[in-house]
Amino acid sequence: MAVVMEFWTDPLPVLIATAFLGTVVGLFLWPRPRMLKIWMLLVTLAILLTLIAVSRRAGPAAGMPLLYLLPLAAFVSLLAQPAQEESRISWLMTLILLGLGLGFLVSERSLGLMLLVSLLALLSLLLYRYKKLTRPQLWWGVGIYGLGIGCLVVSLVAAPPISSVALLLTYSVLLPLFPFHGGYVAALAGLPGNVSAFLALLLPTMGFHGVLTLIPDAPVGIMHTLLILAVSGALYGSAKAMVQCRVVNTLAYASLAFFSILWWYLTTTLTYTPQAAVYLSAVGLVTGGLFLTWHSVQVRYGDVDVNRIGGLARPMPQFATLLSLLVMAAMGLPPFGVFSGYMGMLLNPSIALSGFLLVIMVTWLAASWYFLSLLQRILFGRHRQDIRYEDLRHTETASLLIILLILVAIGIVPARFFEAETPTHGYGTAMESNLWKK
Amino acid sequence: MLYVILVPLLPLLAALVIWIAGRHLRERSAKVGAPAVVAAFLGAVVTLVVVSSNGPINIRFYDLASGTSFRLPMGFYIDRLSAVMMVLITGVSTIIYLFSMRYMQQERGYSRFLALLAVTTFVLLCMVSSANLLMLFIFWQLLSWLLYLLSHNYSHPATMEGAFKTYTLLRVGDVVFLSGIVLAHALYGTLEFQELFIRATEAPITLSLWPGSSLEISAVTAITLLIFIGAMSKSAQFPMHMWLPDALYAPTPVHALLHAGIINAGGFLLNRLAPLYGLSPTTLHVVFGIGTLTAFLGACMMLIQNDIKKTLGYSTIGQMGYMIMECGLGAFALAIFHLIAHGLFKATVFLNCGNVIHKARQEPNFPPEDPAGEGGEFSRLTWLTGFITTLILPLIILLTTHGILRIPLGDSQGAVIFLFFTWVTSSQAILTLTRLRAVASWKVAAAMLLTLLVVVFTYLLAAVNFTYFLYPDPDEVAHYFQAAALPGWLFDCLVAATTVLITLGWFFIYANAHGRTIRIPQWVEMLRVRLYVLFMNRLYLDALYLRLGYGLMRAVHRLDKRYVGWLS
Repeated sequence: MAVVMEFWTDPLPVLIATAFLGTVVGLFLWPRPRMLKIWMLLVTLAILLTLIAVSRRAGPAAGMPLLYLLPLAAFVSLLAQPAQEESRISWLMTLILLGLGLGFLVSERSLGLMLLVSLLALLSLLLYRYKKLTRPQLWWGVGIYGLGIGCLVVSLVAAPPISSVALLLTYSVLLPLFPFHGGYVAALAGLPGNVSAFLALLLPTMGFHGVLTLIPDAPVGIMHTLLILAVSGALYGSAKAMVQCRVVNTLAYASLAFFSILWWYLTTTLTYTPQAAVYLSAVGLVTGGLFLTWHSVQVRYGDVDVNRIGGLARPMPQFATLLSLLVMAAMGLPPFGVFSGYMGMLLNPSIALSGFLLVIMVTWLAASWYFLSLLQRILFGRHRQDIRYEDLRHTETASLLIILLILVAIGIVPARFFEAETPTHGYGTAMESNLWKK
Repeated sequence: MLYVILVPLLPLLAALVIWIAGRHLRERSAKVGAPAVVAAFLGAVVTLVVVSSNGPINIRFYDLASGTSFRLPMGFYIDRLSAVMMVLITGVSTIIYLFSMRYMQQERGYSRFLALLAVTTFVLLCMVSSANLLMLFIFWQLLSWLLYLLSHNYSHPATMEGAFKTYTLLRVGDVVFLSGIVLAHALYGTLEFQELFIRATEAPITLSLWPGSSLEISAVTAITLLIFIGAMSKSAQFPMHMWLPDALYAPTPVHALLHAGIINAGGFLLNRLAPLYGLSPTTLHVVFGIGTLTAFLGACMMLIQNDIKKTLGYSTIGQMGYMIMECGLGAFALAIFHLIAHGLFKATVFLNCGNVIHKARQEPNFPPEDPAGEGGEFSRLTWLTGFITTLILPLIILLTTHGILRIPLGDSQGAVIFLFFTWVTSSQAILTLTRLRAVASWKVAAAMLLTLLVVVFTYLLAAVNFTYFLYPDPDEVAHYFQAAALPGWLFDCLVAATTVLITLGWFFIYANAHGRTIRIPQWVEMLRVRLYVLFMNRLYLDALYLRLGYGLMRAVHRLDKRYVGWLS
């Protein structure tokens, strides 16, 4: 009875426990991949429904939509996977990462930071296990996660402002900021499709959550440094996205460029705004969606060069339609959430007119270039006669449709989901404390 | 008044039905789409009647008072300008839709194509009836994407390249347009049309071009220039016109829609923001300059094309230049009149050109050669008719316009340009039709002159009434003309130089066609050849853009390998 009462007063720790318990139970279903997948889906769905029920009871709050989106993103990333034996580890990892992520977002500071250390360590291990990257990229990614862990440790033992700077560095590993983006890029490019699709939303959400606790009172010098890094990151990410051969690398660097825009916005406005949350969610979702779409190609034809598998529009019409819509969203076209978030940020009265705005516009323009180029290379041209093509399965279609529907919903009525005046939970408590003074 | 929403919604609903059930409907897709587009046309006509008599319709799905609210501000503001554009768009769409039903029937993506046509109609309708600048921009961007979808064909590499270039150039325009919007919002705090115009008028702001420097620019000029670059991309103005000739591989109905509807977006945008443009003479002069350059280059490049569709494409570029030029002279209503006339004319020509090409492919002797040719001796009557057409008639037109119609030509350079255009096109058309042959016939000459007079005055009268219809306040029209006025001597020189050039051109062509030799200095002949090559290669702009693109990519690759690669 006491446990039940505890759940109704603070149900979030129970949710995290559900994620871990779900993973443990999942181990018993290991020999039966189909059952395991269904079980994973049920657990993520249960977490999502519980979150919705909790928010209905507690009333709308700013942090909640981002919390909903995490189990939802986990759900769609799992749903899109074929029930294969090779995918089992990535399913379990998705659930564990969900648990750690939710735990970080809803727990008190010390427990949250411990969960964050676990998550970073787990990501390093996963990168090492899958070894899908080139050696420099792999070690650079692992090194950045190591830096993140080190900075976390420093933040726990050092006094302000060193602890805050260290924390900011850790968060810039999660919400990718040039030149600490290596871990994020490696995770997206080096982990299996559904894990990277989920991480595309999870890591930036965690970083965003953390950065919001530090930014409002940060010294001007730090803010200027961050601003310059953000603008450099936007240019760097765009340039790197343009010259990549591998699709996953293009997507990873593109999202770096997009999240650099978010960093620019945060360092300019110095506060939480619904526009930023909309933008973060939309960019995370659309990146995840694009990863899932490309993963569906990899599942069928292997990890091939995009130039050798072109011409998919005719043999895979459903895939072509959904990819086109996702690319449309990624390029920032209406009615999708990326556009609404971006416009919301640009039209915020706190934005100052400066040369940096020009860089932000160029980043936006560059996205149209490399995304359209990617789309043309994948969909158009002559399709190969020696390949037996197969269009998307129902589960893959459903997962991509869910993502698109969410993107449209937050694009058309962003305020309905994100406009709340006072952030709750982790956001509010930490923002009150002053972390930059000795 | 909510019924007006049905006008854009009907094509959208039809598109959704076709998209969802296209596989089952197949040929019957057209039966879903056509009634919806026809109904939208009828609705647009009713809307025009209502707006003309009752004033603008204003429907907003957002709260104007809560300026800080974060939501997409969707709404409709339909005044006479919007209503006229809606009738034009739905009218042209109806014709194109009905044409496509048969023309595209055997094509593989028949349903998809019809759905896209309906969506494009929806987007165009929403764009012209937008309640604010942000909503206009939303549909403006969607139009860029739809243009890409309509003009690409994934089994034809040249088409794909053209579509890519189209979207890239349009996107450049979109981003600059967005910069203008951001600037307008940052400085005036609103994107509502009327509110923006009022604030811009009441509070002139000056911006420093560089921090600490004395270089300054008026805020309105900066905003309007940025927005104009957006308009330049959609209306294919030099040097952003490159996408239009490359989009010519698209199906014929797409051309008709493109040249009669989509490309008019720039002219509409300038008209919608006319009160803002009226505040910046500098921008209007830039607009005039770009328009003039585009009209000239478009016409020059059109003359040397040997492909019917490319000829028409460059003709559109020239016409759009003319339209933008009219805006630059403050003749905003005339620009709309021009784009309507051009839209209807060009849609007809494009829909027909497919038949001509088809016929030419089937019959090697089509078009039949004229055995008589144009040779022969000049007669006095021929000279007299030419003299009256080119010199006396314009004088009569000018005097009538000034004296009887009471158009203040001295104050409105736009009206003069319009008259000038009317004279050039109609006399050229008549000259082409009758081919001033050596056969002297009073009947032919009289009929030709009479027709010319009727055409010119009808056109002129229609334009005057149309101006009054769109801008009922004469002071507003006068204000635009004043703001756009070029220095008198410059304007006179421009008109005089162009008149001399055209008259000489006619003289040269006429004499040439009749076997007369005219002595031309060697350097002029050389220049002609060089210009021919230059225009044949489209001013080498394609190569330049390509080189720029490759250069950028090469630089980024080199940078990535040398310095940045380790930051993976």
